[in-house]
Amino acid sequence: MRKKRSSPKAMRIPGRKSGTTRPQPAAEGLDTNSQRTTKHRRSSLRAGLAVVGGRAAGALSRRLHLGGGTSIVGLVAQRLYPGIVGHLATQLEYGSVLVTGTNGKTTTSGFIAAILSDAGLRVWRNREGSNLMRGVASSLVIRALPNGHLRRAGRAISIFEVDEAVVPQAVQTIPPRVAVFTNLFRDQLDRYGEVDSVAARWQRAVGLLPTSTTLVLNADDPTTANLGELFTGKVLYFGIDDPSFDLTAQRVSSERHQAIDTRTCPQCGSDYTYDLRFYSHMGHYYCTNCGRRRPQVDIRAVQVQSDSFDRLRISVATSTQQREVVIPLPGLYNIYNALAAIAAAQALQIDWNPIASGIEQFKPIFGRGERIQVEGRTIRLLLAKNPTGFNEVLRTLFSDETPRHVLFILNDNTADGRDISWIWVVDFERAVGQTAALSVAGTRALDLALRLKYAGFAERDMTIIPPTPLRAMRREAVLNERSKRVAKADQVRPAVLTDKEQEPGMKAMQRYGIAEALDVAIDKTPIGETLFVVPTYTGLLEVHRELERRGLTPHYWEGRDR
Amino acid sequence: MKEDFAAHPTLTLTLGHLYPDQLNLYGDRGNILTLRQRCLRRGIELRVVGLGIGDALAPDEYDMLFIGGGQDKEQAPVAQDLYDVKGIGLWAAIEDDMPMLAVCGGYQLLAHYYRPASGPDMRGLGVFDAWTIHKGSHVPRCIGDVAISWNGGTLVGFENHGGRTYLGTAKPLGKVLKGHGNNSEDHTEGAFYRNAYGTYLHGSLLPKNPHFADHLIGLALQRSLRVGTAFGGTPGDHEGRSYISEGDDTIVAATGERTNGSTPSAVVDREPSAMLTPLDDRLEWEAHASLLERLGLYSAATAALHTHGAKL
Repeated sequence: MRKKRSSPKAMRIPGRKSGTTRPQPAAEGLDTNSQRTTKHRRSSLRAGLAVVGGRAAGALSRRLHLGGGTSIVGLVAQRLYPGIVGHLATQLEYGSVLVTGTNGKTTTSGFIAAILSDAGLRVWRNREGSNLMRGVASSLVIRALPNGHLRRAGRAISIFEVDEAVVPQAVQTIPPRVAVFTNLFRDQLDRYGEVDSVAARWQRAVGLLPTSTTLVLNADDPTTANLGELFTGKVLYFGIDDPSFDLTAQRVSSERHQAIDTRTCPQCGSDYTYDLRFYSHMGHYYCTNCGRRRPQVDIRAVQVQSDSFDRLRISVATSTQQREVVIPLPGLYNIYNALAAIAAAQALQIDWNPIASGIEQFKPIFGRGERIQVEGRTIRLLLAKNPTGFNEVLRTLFSDETPRHVLFILNDNTADGRDISWIWVVDFERAVGQTAALSVAGTRALDLALRLKYAGFAERDMTIIPPTPLRAMRREAVLNERSKRVAKADQVRPAVLTDKEQEPGMKAMQRYGIAEALDVAIDKTPIGETLFVVPTYTGLLEVHRELERRGLTPHYWEGRDR
Repeated sequence: MKEDFAAHPTLTLTLGHLYPDQLNLYGDRGNILTLRQRCLRRGIELRVVGLGIGDALAPDEYDMLFIGGGQDKEQAPVAQDLYDVKGIGLWAAIEDDMPMLAVCGGYQLLAHYYRPASGPDMRGLGVFDAWTIHKGSHVPRCIGDVAISWNGGTLVGFENHGGRTYLGTAKPLGKVLKGHGNNSEDHTEGAFYRNAYGTYLHGSLLPKNPHFADHLIGLALQRSLRVGTAFGGTPGDHEGRSYISEGDDTIVAATGERTNGSTPSAVVDREPSAMLTPLDDRLEWEAHASLLERLGLYSAATAALHTHGAKL
């Protein structure tokens, strides 16, 4: 039996904590209220039940290979005891950090986790992108004991990556010490509704935050920055101040299509004007009509140098100092992610050394640029789940005229968003003529192939690997074959048999499914070269499962203390 | 041969894109891109002119119109401008058989009114005798893949709308085979009046429905040959152009004298896209059929591949 460090009576709300010094030992005074103790005991009992139930369900799901088994734990536990998240989260000694936004949540919370670990804290996260409330519940439940107490809650801080749509519920359940909002773009309209409705939820969430929370906001994103005005507590803004990233300063023609999701000033409704624009609606904006502009920035990237494809050296200036940080990931969006993490660390008053080391030694996680060696080739996974994310991945891949080997995977499962019309605003045109090999897979492979065709790719240069053959084509092949056979012999075999036999008849070379798509793409990549796999969210899961099946990646569900 | 035409387009069509900055939800770009490319492959240049808030709509400057969908916040000022500034021009264009495609929010604005869950009604142009009611957030949105029958074949797309549209005397674009359509009650989807088409289908609509794209292009071409805008106002020099398939009689009929102002019968009777050179659309039809199969419409998928895909 492990020894409990934190007493169950030590109920504290982390958000209410002042400063960052270690809090005093549990207030024993609570104990005197016997009524409360009974109530607490009862909830402990329920929590224990929920913990046991949830973990059993998770183990079962993992055993039966129904999935990663991460979401089900929280789902079951919450069913058994809806208050489980609040019950467990309040036991954390250092409270929690909440990270939300359309893009960059996972990498930002990864950076924060690395920084805080280097600072000597015990960091807990909800990982693997299962970031609905259920995922948050899971991450706590798998670390709880059957008596409803968290294991090793001392010196512990949790980082919750929260889906942008559930932020109000999340901050109500767990008032965070630091709340990070990375950015707001259009994503999965069918699931979240329009950008405006997400913005409204965020405003509601900010209204629910205690004033002791520090808000970390992206100054370059108008909607996100706007949240700071509604908040009476402390706000830290981060942003990029390096003009060399301005779109107009780059070689690419400025008429390039950009998916701009926020364009008007919320105060007066006129269009924003930009001094500098980095991508989409990110940049130094101001309103010519009412004078509203990007806020004063606290954590600024003043200079960015690119050492190599995925090694960026940035100078970060705060009000007191200017330091250099190396980001081991490609892309402008990762500069924002690093800045967000630095700002969050500053809000927690972490020293500079763990900040720099945490970011520099950061290992790319789950589809955010991770590297896998396969048959002499390197595979790199770059998740792209919405237009802005996809555009930034394309910009990263196709900006230095190096021909790339690419496999795109487009799925339309619920977690990806059922509506795939967004591929039509992705700037695939910029990749034309820059691919050495191009394969297209996923449940909507044909739609993506069509998009690429209209972007200017020749059909013969693409290999399309849909998940399954079209029935209509099979039937056609069967019909052809049958009529031939009828002419030949008088005996006609049942259609079921011929159906199976003739499947490869029509398109002998056609291949199907993610496993084959990977094979095709790897085959087309010469030994020693890199294959870039750009999947949507569930596509990424499928690739992972397949690589795992081949023994190439570790299991990604970890449910254990680190 | 085709490439020559692509390099030196001899014929120009002009598309008026209404409110490209305000009504720009996903996929509108796919529709424009499809129209432009399918024109270009036949040696026709498609010029796209954006018509924003405050811009007047002069009907004789365009051959085709497009209006997309937007967020609710952006739709209100657009509705006002559409009614006040562009209404008369748009009506004139539509009465003069100009092809127009209106998707989602744009479709709603071409009907009589849009009644939001709260707040005042948004007045529409009344091109379609139809109206839209948003019954509030407790009524689920119509979201998902959708397939409808159209013109003896099928159209496929994705729909995502909160408002329910009810048709008065307006004729529906098609019958819902799978999905919600106008209101998920009466199995109708979209509406049309003369050559103006309103629909909830996006995804984008036109790439996966090349027959519908060609239908619109064909209508525009037919009309421009009749009116004479395509050759910069000088109809006549059109012999041997290969953007038009067989049947020179059509051209002659179309560009010849507009006898007594009546439309030549050859033009009316034929499917307008028949005058366009067929393109290699196997990928388009495979994508079309695969969506039909995902919706469980297997015989429709076979039919689509059979009539279009297999032909090539």
